[in-house]
This record gives sequence, C-alpha cells and structure tokens, in this order.
Amino acid sequence: MNSKTLLYVVKRVLLALFTVWVVITVTFFVMHAVPGGPFIGEKATTPAVQAAMEAKYGLDKPLLEQYGTYLKDIVTKFDFGPSLKQRGRMVIDIIADGMKTSMKLGLIAAGVATLIGVVLGAVAALRRNKVIDRVIMVITTAFVSMPSFIIGALLLALFSVQLRWLPANGSTGAGLVLPIITLALYPMAYITRLTRSSMLDVLGQDYIRTAKAKGVSGARIIFGHALKNSLIPVLTYLGPMLAYIVTGSLVVEQIFAVPGIGRQFVSSITNRDYPMIMGTTIILAALIVIMNLVTDILYKVVDPRITLE
Amino acid sequence: MKIKKMLAMLLAVAMIVSLAACGGNGGTTASATSIAVCLASEPDTIDPAMNSAVDGATMLAHLFSGLAKWAQKDDGTLEIVPDAAKELVEGVENEDGTVTYTYTLRDGMKWSDGQDVTAGDFAYAWQRAGNVGTGGDYYSMFAVVDGYSEDDPDAKLNIKAIDDKTFEVTLANAVSYWNELLAFPVFFPVREDVVANDSWATDPSTYVCNGMYTLDSWDHNSLITLKKNANHPDADEVTMDTIEFYLSDDANNQLSNFKNGEWLLIDDVPTNEISVLKTEYPDEFFTVGQIGTYYVCWNINEDILPKDSDLTGAEAEAAKAEIRNAVSLLLDRNYIIDEISQGGELPASSFVAMGMTDADGSQFYENAGSSDEYVGYYDTSAEAIESNFKSAVETLKKYYDYDEAEGKFTNFPSMTYLYNTSEGHKAIGEYIQSALANVGITLNMENQEWATFLNTRKAGDYSIARNGWLADYNDPICFLDMWTTASGNNDVQYGKGDHADVKAYSLDLTDLGYDTKVENGTWAETYDVLISDIKSCTDTDVRYKLMHRAEDMLMATGCLTPIYYYTDKYMLSKSVKGFFSNPLGYKYFMYCTIEK
Repeated sequence: MNSKTLLYVVKRVLLALFTVWVVITVTFFVMHAVPGGPFIGEKATTPAVQAAMEAKYGLDKPLLEQYGTYLKDIVTKFDFGPSLKQRGRMVIDIIADGMKTSMKLGLIAAGVATLIGVVLGAVAALRRNKVIDRVIMVITTAFVSMPSFIIGALLLALFSVQLRWLPANGSTGAGLVLPIITLALYPMAYITRLTRSSMLDVLGQDYIRTAKAKGVSGARIIFGHALKNSLIPVLTYLGPMLAYIVTGSLVVEQIFAVPGIGRQFVSSITNRDYPMIMGTTIILAALIVIMNLVTDILYKVVDPRITLE
Repeated sequence: MKIKKMLAMLLAVAMIVSLAACGGNGGTTASATSIAVCLASEPDTIDPAMNSAVDGATMLAHLFSGLAKWAQKDDGTLEIVPDAAKELVEGVENEDGTVTYTYTLRDGMKWSDGQDVTAGDFAYAWQRAGNVGTGGDYYSMFAVVDGYSEDDPDAKLNIKAIDDKTFEVTLANAVSYWNELLAFPVFFPVREDVVANDSWATDPSTYVCNGMYTLDSWDHNSLITLKKNANHPDADEVTMDTIEFYLSDDANNQLSNFKNGEWLLIDDVPTNEISVLKTEYPDEFFTVGQIGTYYVCWNINEDILPKDSDLTGAEAEAAKAEIRNAVSLLLDRNYIIDEISQGGELPASSFVAMGMTDADGSQFYENAGSSDEYVGYYDTSAEAIESNFKSAVETLKKYYDYDEAEGKFTNFPSMTYLYNTSEGHKAIGEYIQSALANVGITLNMENQEWATFLNTRKAGDYSIARNGWLADYNDPICFLDMWTTASGNNDVQYGKGDHADVKAYSLDLTDLGYDTKVENGTWAETYDVLISDIKSCTDTDVRYKLMHRAEDMLMATGCLTPIYYYTDKYMLSKSVKGFFSNPLGYKYFMYCTIEK
C-alpha cells in the first residue's frame, strides 16, 4: 500500500466517523421528537410510576444533557445503556445476540449467492443464446422480480407445511435453511445477470481476441482474463449487498421467526426503546459505512488502473 | 465440459456449506413429556413484580408458587386453591374495619437453588411489587392492602412475617376477590438477594424461582425452556417434564409451525384465516371467553352539535350524550362479528365485559341496564337492527337537519376515527364509517402507529377512537375505576378540559345507605365519589349495586360504544390432553399429556 492509498484510507475513516456522528445526532433528536414514549401501553401506568421509570433511566433530564451523556458513554465506555423494553438486558448484549444470528445467516446466504451467481452468470455468457442461457435468464428474472415475502411464504408452504422436510421456525438448526435460501435468491439472481453482461462485455474486448489469436486455451482465457475482469461490477454490488444481507432482513426474519437484528431494529422503534433504537442504528450505519469503504479498497486490488484519492 | 464439471462441484460445495450451517439440535421431536408451544414474542420481563403481559403471566404461573393458584376441577370448571399456603384462610375483621389474614406456608417449599421459601420472602416480594418506585405496571393491585400509597415510594404495606412459616397481611377493607389476587403473578414471592441483581430475570443462571418448573434455558427472542422442578411438593402431579415456549409474534409463522406439527399450541392465528381454520380444524381451533370489551370511545370534549346550535352547559352535554347513544344504535354488531372479526366474539351491549360475576354469582353483564326485553343497555339481536336504526334516526332528527328524500343528515359535523395500524381495527373502522355515511355522517379515518396512537388518545386529540380493555381480575371495578378524572386510562377525558366544569350529573345513593346526594354536579363530584365509595364498601351486595350505578352513569354519557366482548382464540393439537386456561387468558401446561 503506497502512501497515497494510506492517506485515502485515513481520510475515508475520518469521513466514516463523521457520518456515524451525524447519524447518531439526527437519530437521537428525531427519535425524541416522535410522539409516544417507552413507558406507555394500552393500560396506562400512573404518573408516579412513569416518573419513577423516567428518573431511573435518566429520561427526566434535559434532552441536550441526555445527548451529551449518551455520546460520552459511547465514546469513553462503548456503553449503549440498558434496554427500556427488555427489562434487565443491556442493548449491546441484545445487539450481539441478534447480530450473531443475522451474520451467520447473512454470510452464508451471501457466500451461496456469490458462488452460484458468478458460476451461472459465466455459464450463461459463454453459452450465450443457447438453451442453458435462456433457462438461466428466465429463472433469474423471476427471482429478481419476486419479493422475498412471496418467496419465503412459498418455500414455507411447500417445504415446511406440505412436505414437512424443514421446520418453519428459523431459530433451530435446520430451520435456518429456508431463510438462507430466501435471503440468497435475490442477490444470486442479480449477480448472475451482472456477471453475464459484464462477461459478455469483456469477451468482446480486443485483448481477448488477441489471446484467442495467439492460441491461448479456452480455459485460460476465461479464468485468467475474462472472469477476473468481469468481476468488477459484481464487486461494486457485493459491498452494499453484504451490508444489507448481514444487517438482517426484517421480512425474512419475520416470516421464519429468526431471532435476528432486523426484527429488533423495527420493534425497538415501535416500542420507543430509545437506547435500542440508537444502538441498532449506530451499529447498522457503521457496518454499511465500513462495507462501502472495503468495497472501494477492493476495487484497487482487482483493477490496478483505479487510483484511490 | 470442464465448466459443467466445475459448476457441479461448486453447487456441491455450496450445498455442503449451507448444510454445515444447520448443525445444532435440528428441530424438536415431540415426546410424550415435552411440549412445544408459542404464545407470543419475547416477553418484556419474567420478573413477577414487573410483568403485565398475559404471556409473561403464563410462564410465571409455571415458574412460581404464590399463596394461591388456579386449578381445574374434575368437571372442568376452575377454582382458586391454596398453593404455597396451607389453606386460604378467612380474614379477621379488626376494630377499625381493616381485615387481617394470617397464612401458614406449606412444608417443603423450596427455591430452585435449594433454600427454603420463608414468609419473609413473601413480605419482601410484596413490599417490592406494591411500591410505586419499583416501576411495575401492576403495583396498584396492592391498593387493597393497608398502608398502600399510589405515589409515595417510602410507604410500607401492612404485612409482616411473624416467623419463617407465618405470613400476615392486613387489608384496608374486605374484598371479595382477594383469593384471586393471591394467584396473580404480581403477588408471587421473590428473594431479596436474588433480585438485588438488576438483570436476574434475564438469565437462567440467576433466575431463582419456587414453582413447579425452573427456567432451564433462554435463547433470547427465540426459545424459553422450562424443566419440571422435582423438588416441588406437588411434583408428583406434574405430567409434563419440559415446556418449550417458542417466541414468535408472527401469526402466519405460528400457524405454519402448528400445521407441520412442530408446535402443539399457538396463541395467535391470522385474522383472514379464521373462517378457514374453523372448518378445517374443528377439533383444534378454540375460541374461549375472555373478560374484555372491544369498544369505541368518544372524546367528551369534542363538539358534535350542529354549528348553529345554541345549547350550552348541562343542556349541551345531555344533547351530546343522547346523540352519541343514538349513533351507537346505527351499528350492526353482528355484522362486525360475523363478517369482520370472525373470532366467535359476542355482541356487546354493556361496557363491563361478559365473564365478570355479579354479587349472586350470575353474570354482571346480564344484570346491566334496566330493560326487561334485552340484556344490557340496548338490544343487539339481529331482529332489533331495524328498530334501533329507526329510533336512532328519530333521536338525531331532534338536533340535525334531515333530508327525507335522501335519508341523510345534512349538518352533522364531520368527525375523525382514530385507530392503530392493524388490518382488523381498520376493517372495523371502515364498517363504522360506512354505517354512518349511510345517514350522511362523515367519518374520516386516521391511522397511527401504536405508540403515537396511545399518546394521541390519552391526550384527547381525537373525536372517536378505537379502544379495548381486558380485565386483570374478576371484579367489575377494573372496568369502572379507569374512568375517574385522574385515571391514566381516562381516554374519554371525563372531568378534564371543558368537561371539568360541566355540571350535568346527579348521584343519589341514599337508598343504599349512603349520605351521597348530588344534583347537577360535575364528573368529579359524582363519578369519582361513587368509585371511592365502591372501593371502601365492605358489603358485597351494596358494592355490586354501586358498580351497576357506575356503569349506568358511564353508559348514559354515550362516550363508550361497546362493540363486542373479546374471545381468546388459539389452536391446540388434539393430541394434547389435560390442558386448561383461565378467564384472564393464562394457559396451563403442567398437567398435559400427549397422546400419539
């Protein structure tokens, strides 16, 4: 890594920290501006209980003071505070639990999607306009257009309710199979199409023709030249996809009752669980920022012509 | 060819990767001594003092032994029987009117870590749960105990542990539902050294309980497993060794798990599947009574009189009450139940729900209202739809211009119906909208997300809002004391804002032996007084009569428009025997067996 690249990385990291700070600030104040609070329910508590709870969690202090305390605790202690809803649990533990599941699910799904997507895309490009290309294109078009709640519900109805091969509950071991497939189908189809068009583009380039003319073997052309160069667009997609898929998909987690971070994120907002909203937002924002940074750096690894500045 | 080979290999690798991820316990096998069920998603808490949810209460009823518990008799009916107490003693009345109960604890009651359960544990737990500073929603259930304070965290309840086995509690006055309260989770014991740890109730390693089960594992947001406590004195009666509470709030997911046989009981079903489930699973789909009312509430301060009306004060209030009661008659509750909610609910003609018993053991709602021809405050039968409609229109004609040709009122101010995001609430709102549009009344729909909705309704920023109430215990007071001026649940805004000065209410209790006689008083001078009389009344017959008076007052305002009495809908596999649930919706699995 040369000094120019290093400088670039440092700059990007600083920018990332700034972004996260903006996210924290905006979320904090918007969240408190929304009506409703963490301690109200269908059955109202008395004002005395309300006051006792607010005092316990420091919600009775002026908003700016709460904001200051919150920032300080995060920076100095990495302390996200206790959940207001899941009483007695710390936000960081809840997030860690959820992330563990969502990460496992997301990484496997991303791996499967990338592997199969690249292979299918390459096959389709090499067999352009042949039957296999057509079949792959039809299937991937279908998967790209079908929203995950439809795919999830279909898989559930077929494999879980009808055939009873797999459990409908995503919290047990075998139960993870269906959510993984549901999560993987869209990115897989997308990567297939991306790889195919990029590969077709590369295959038409002069240097491929030159290589063919020089008598280089087919396999070498494909794996040595074409595939590597056609992966750049795929890489562009990979970063955001990973961030999206790893941070949990609410829909998939809901359908299969997966104890992931996506459900926590949404329910924290419904519950006005302030520390949970902050915690999940910060972690998810940080992840997305990091993924984007990593993607940008990876560009350079794949394509030395790109300069980072 | 090479490509194909590689493709095959890659696919194989991908499959292995995904299979490798699926290690673990690989689903549940329902053996005869283990049951997998799903009530709801992750409970907010399973600390007895903090819990206020039905699913949490079900778990607590398995994990703890309070002084009393719910039990099923041989004939299937339910009763309250002693649990940690040797017997449920009668109270002894003191000179000052307070009543003292002295309980002796059973021998052999132990905490899950082996220590003995003492009277001191009960005394500590009650002081904690009944204290406003603890922050539990149900601390006010201790209001019947002498020494209780609604807002002073330093107040001490009049309870004491005389020795390790003897526990004494003094009530401000006798209440008929005292034994039932003893079976309520907020009255369960906890040990001081255990709850000193703030997060004791989130981890099995720190969760010490004294019930028929212990907390074996808690995979947060996924699964809670209870194991039979072999040291419990009643362990011999417990037939179910393991209970797995799966945590999911998605009704469709619950149903899938029920259909494929993984979960043997689910407590939620998708609303749009109900009619299908009823025919497809006649032996496994259950609707049971639940003490609760689904209703619509009106903001009492909302001006619904025509713009040119010159009525003011008590006259205006009386007119508005009459109008609201007339609008209530425009609704066909049978249509809502049969076509929209479809859960076997019953049309409601009173606010206090079905299931509440009256002084003589009959149903409170059957004695409500004053008509000899129908039950409650109006006739909900299908035959009465037409006459209800006619009488409503006649009443409204007194106040609004009516276009006879169109059959519509022309100057009824438009109103807004507030509801929280849910297909079911929306559908009911839309029905009400169409029923009112039928006579020319415009009702706009406003949908708000749950927490915002609660805030808006509480603050009284609405004209009409969807509402519902489920009882915590079998006494009508829990439907009535929520409408006092200061109550946090007073969504109607009785006695608040402009209504605080409206002198439109009369109360005469002299026939029941009270001095109270108010003519044209405010809400605070009448209803609030009536509720406090009820709370201090020790004569059961009189007390129930007072409660009927309170409901009469509420219904006369027309601000509460009951729609239906709730039912609890759940699916239970027919292989499960020995299951029962109580009117509060708690479900009991300890005596279950599974027949293959």
